[in-house]
Amino acid sequence: MRRLFITVCFWSLAALPMPVLADLVVVANPQSGIAHLSLDDVVNIYLGRYRRLPSGATAEPIDISDNEMRARFYRGLVRKSLPEINAYWARLVFAGKTRPPLVVESPEAALRRVVAEPGSIAYLERSQAGRQAKIVFELND
Amino acid sequence: MGGKGFSGFLLTLAVLCMGSVQAEAGDFSLRGFGTVGLARSSSDHAEFVRDLSQPLGIKGGEWSGRIDSVLGLQASWRATDDLEFVGQAIARLRYDRSRDPEVMWAFAKWEPDARVSLRAGRIGADFMMLADSRLVGYSYLPARPSADFFGPLFFSHFDGADASLTLPLAGGLVRGKLFAGETREKTSGAPGIWDTSGSPVAGMVLDYLQGPWLFRANYAQIRFSSDINFAPLPFILRNVIGTPQAIAAADALVTKDTKTRFYSLGIVYDDGPLQVQGMLNTIDQETGVFQNSSAGYLLAGYRFGMLTPYAGVSWWKSKFKPFGVGLGIPDLDRIMAASGSDQTTYTLGARWDFHDNMALKLQWDAIRGSPQSLFPYARANGGSGWNGRTDVLSVVMDFVF
Repeated sequence: MRRLFITVCFWSLAALPMPVLADLVVVANPQSGIAHLSLDDVVNIYLGRYRRLPSGATAEPIDISDNEMRARFYRGLVRKSLPEINAYWARLVFAGKTRPPLVVESPEAALRRVVAEPGSIAYLERSQAGRQAKIVFELND
Repeated sequence: MGGKGFSGFLLTLAVLCMGSVQAEAGDFSLRGFGTVGLARSSSDHAEFVRDLSQPLGIKGGEWSGRIDSVLGLQASWRATDDLEFVGQAIARLRYDRSRDPEVMWAFAKWEPDARVSLRAGRIGADFMMLADSRLVGYSYLPARPSADFFGPLFFSHFDGADASLTLPLAGGLVRGKLFAGETREKTSGAPGIWDTSGSPVAGMVLDYLQGPWLFRANYAQIRFSSDINFAPLPFILRNVIGTPQAIAAADALVTKDTKTRFYSLGIVYDDGPLQVQGMLNTIDQETGVFQNSSAGYLLAGYRFGMLTPYAGVSWWKSKFKPFGVGLGIPDLDRIMAASGSDQTTYTLGARWDFHDNMALKLQWDAIRGSPQSLFPYARANGGSGWNGRTDVLSVVMDFVF
């Protein structure tokens, strides 16, 4: 009876829709000369504070229009919700100060951009990074 | 709001709504922002305004969309990797009581390097922290920026240039900015409209950012290009009365070629769901028409999901300049008293981000001041029953597109 109870519990739990807890990573072009970015570097680049890569090149951050992935990234990076990030950019954009990150439709489009443009950086699932781009920061969300 | 101004506003709204989807084509983008706001102020004796550029305010417990409603449209074109052109037009309550669209920004921005930014054209008057985004309600927590703090700042832009440099320092970032130019604005003021066009402005900003902290020090100055029309009072003081005290009072009524200096400090702590802001300013006026003042505010909010309740306190206090006291000229006494401020405001509110790029805010401001606190209001008169106290309720919906 006890064994049956444990088996039922196990399969019941297994049947629950578990969230996919894949880590997000930030990738850069392998030719960019970047070995690693710190948390502060990524925050400064994505929030438009300072977009200079350690190599001296100008960083071009890329956002993904998928709200779920974007929300995970900013929650992990600065513990902010998307409305807070949108409000932050409203202040900078409408004061004419800084451009927000370029928005692309999909992780695949982001990866293509990173491969084509040496200064571009993007966030992806670790499994999406492939060999064409170099992982320069890991975000544990 | 005049009929012509209101129909102009509606026309602008209709035009903008027809193209209300944020458009981006290559390196061209079209975006907008706006606020539909209703507010009421309980006092019958002074009209509450957002800032001193507004010729009319709200009073008598009547709900009005007059002071907060605004619509803005911004186009930008990135010509090259380093060169961008930005233009912004807005419709809001203006000095002449209309809502005719006006050009807020129109500048070229050159960023030859990630550390350097140069802008030239019509640019935002960055006289105090957040001053150049005061009209973008979606970008901040409360219904409107503190009227005690930003109220005296009736400039929004100037024609000129600014240059900023950002460098890493001690684990954070330090950013310095210099700006200079000339104003192209008019303001409502007693009596009538005061055209300050051509007044030279200059200033500097020093920011230090580290993690969730932002520290700012600001200095700005303006030298007024014109006098306020108090005729015939200066002539009477100088040529009819002619005593040393009367001549000193006439000199005090001069604004042309006098400087106003703005000093401010700000601290922002923004970490996850918690936001705290504190700012202080001192405004030093060479003219006798305006009293020197100091102001400050503290605002804190904490986000719970899509709801962010907030609370704040602000104050604005000035020092009376005793020109002409004892001359027994009521018009002069009224002018000298008109720029008095002595009040504290307690704010409670909540912001609800109910939809993508839209927020609804409900706010209560309890203003507790003295009867001498006249400057923060439109058409306030001493001795008319004004006791310095009013309660302002606001419901605003902010959006960006």
